[in-house]
Amino acid sequence: MSIMAYNGGCVVAMKGKECVAIATDLRFGLQAQTIDTNFEKVFPVNKHMYLGLAGLQTDIITVYKRLMFRKNLYEIRENRVMQPERFAAMLSSFLYEHRFGPYFIEPVIAGLDPKTFKPFICNMDLIGCANMPDDFVVAGTCEEQLFGMCETLWRENMEPDDLFETISQAMLNAFDRDAISGWGAKVYIIEKDKVTIRKLKTRMD
Amino acid sequence: MALNDILKHMPSVGDMLSDYKSTEEMDFINLSQNKVLSAPPYSNPVENLAKLHENNDNIKINFDHGTTTLGFIYQGGVVLAVDSRATGGQYIGSQSVRKVVEINDLLLGTLAGGAADCTYWYRVLTSECRLYELRNKKKISLAAATKIMNNIIYSYKNSGLSMGMILAGGDMNQVSLYYLDSDGTRTMGKVFSVGSGSIFAYGVLDSGYKWELTDEQAYELGRRSIYHATHRDAYSGGTVRVYHVKKDGWNLISEEDCLDLHRRYEAEKKK
Amino acid sequence: METIIGIKGKDFVMLAADSTHPHSIMVLKDDENKIHKISDSLLIAATGDQGDTVQFVEYISKNILLYKMRNGYELGPKAAAYFTRKNLADYLRTRYAYQVWLLVAGYDKKEGPQLTFIDYLANTLSVNHGAHGYGGMFCGSIFDQYHYENITQDEAYEVMRKCAREIQKRLIISQQKFHVTVVDANGVRRLDDITAENLKN
Repeated sequence: MSIMAYNGGCVVAMKGKECVAIATDLRFGLQAQTIDTNFEKVFPVNKHMYLGLAGLQTDIITVYKRLMFRKNLYEIRENRVMQPERFAAMLSSFLYEHRFGPYFIEPVIAGLDPKTFKPFICNMDLIGCANMPDDFVVAGTCEEQLFGMCETLWRENMEPDDLFETISQAMLNAFDRDAISGWGAKVYIIEKDKVTIRKLKTRMD
Repeated sequence: MALNDILKHMPSVGDMLSDYKSTEEMDFINLSQNKVLSAPPYSNPVENLAKLHENNDNIKINFDHGTTTLGFIYQGGVVLAVDSRATGGQYIGSQSVRKVVEINDLLLGTLAGGAADCTYWYRVLTSECRLYELRNKKKISLAAATKIMNNIIYSYKNSGLSMGMILAGGDMNQVSLYYLDSDGTRTMGKVFSVGSGSIFAYGVLDSGYKWELTDEQAYELGRRSIYHATHRDAYSGGTVRVYHVKKDGWNLISEEDCLDLHRRYEAEKKK
Repeated sequence: METIIGIKGKDFVMLAADSTHPHSIMVLKDDENKIHKISDSLLIAATGDQGDTVQFVEYISKNILLYKMRNGYELGPKAAAYFTRKNLADYLRTRYAYQVWLLVAGYDKKEGPQLTFIDYLANTLSVNHGAHGYGGMFCGSIFDQYHYENITQDEAYEVMRKCAREIQKRLIISQQKFHVTVVDANGVRRLDDITAENLKN
């Protein structure tokens, strides 16, 4: 089994109309054994931006902490909030820095521009090759299933409620076909004036 | 394209096929003698069949190794309980597999390991049991049925079969429980659990098991053991099926979705 | 491999560890202590490579004590677990990775009880119950069945006994005796050992 699939788990992000959504499952396992069902793979970066990390859990923690250190330093030095594009560039460089001994994670970024509130989503491979499409990004052990679900469910210019339903259904039905993802899910809908966080009740097997 | 062409890199042992010259002939033989399988076109199938997975991306044999099954004897007979998930690697192929095989009115068997191996050999066993009935004008005993199965499995030892079975059934005036596997094991016992989730099922089963269990308690113990295994083991899940086997036949007690069970047990815990 | 088990309650954390010290195919020692007292409110249970566990836990514990000497106050259980993880994660990407599996248990008057699961890759999670080792695999479903939010110390001890009984019944490796230690508002306390003999009662 690949080291990327040692702990299991998945993350997905989608663009909507003046909003973005990001969702995570809650499983933490050691290969086949489920250790805990309360590990969130999506972390707050700032008011309008969240970072999802799928892959090896130890590296999820390390990367998140080190990235926050760099981002905080930037925000203090510049005295302004970091834009998602800048954050993605910083993350990409950080991952490529470890080109020959990579962190075993695949990041997903979802956020709004702090000034224009333009939606932004992005994902990368483990050494920082960024991909910024107009619709959705996926990562984790049920990547293929997520692609399938997102391709069929996603539509342009969805309102926040619609986006919530779409991302939830996409994630739920994707990880129901994956043995090592699932055991609960959490969805974040990011709008310019608020962030809505909802926990989903899912299959627990 | 013959399998041999795909597997050029493997040492081929043509001699093994010499008894049956053509594939047409081979088909015919399996039809009348279902215990005869086509010999592998290479030596040491355990090792070389594994290479088939590694080196040929276009050939994929879906083996089902993730399962939780259990069976135990108590004063009221035997309880068998199983999950219903089939996986190929980490992909969930099905959530609705029937892992209890209803061999006849008296005998039941559970299925763990290679799904194809188990279903095929259970089909053979079912026909053997029926033939026994027709020849001898009486139902086959569990001891005899398991011995037939064991003999077949044993003749294929070291050729890469993967099976772990629990068989239960009425045997004249008692009920008994057997464990069989592809190593050639055949043994009688009180409590068995087989599959990737068995380690978790045992945790619940052992702490709740006693001979004096009532029927309801026994069903619940079986159900709960499988449920906890599906919760902890990534490769078990779907629905939990519980069967009760008595001297005079078996009954399907319940079929419940793991999600419903989870909600029920969580609600009970909160009280 | 050996077994360490941890259970968190509302106002305590209980740890259990088997007391064997295996070497090759034999048991070298049957009263090895794997639950290390770091301070009056912090315990670390460790298993894994024999040399590594001792070296690593001593390194962590001495640094936590040093921190207290320098600053005049102690590292809380969350901070201690984080410090432990950080060290393990940093060593992971060197040639000197430690092969250790840990449960960090602590009690803090403000934070309450804290149980942290850390494996040799520095995969880390705050949990309500957790276990390491082959024996630990048998405990998962027992926790799921018997652990609840307001579990008392007596009940937690009973769950430990259930785990020990199951390990002795099903695990092929002999683990005859388990040390049990609890940490709560009153500090660290050693409870009665769980042995094959007293499990019969």
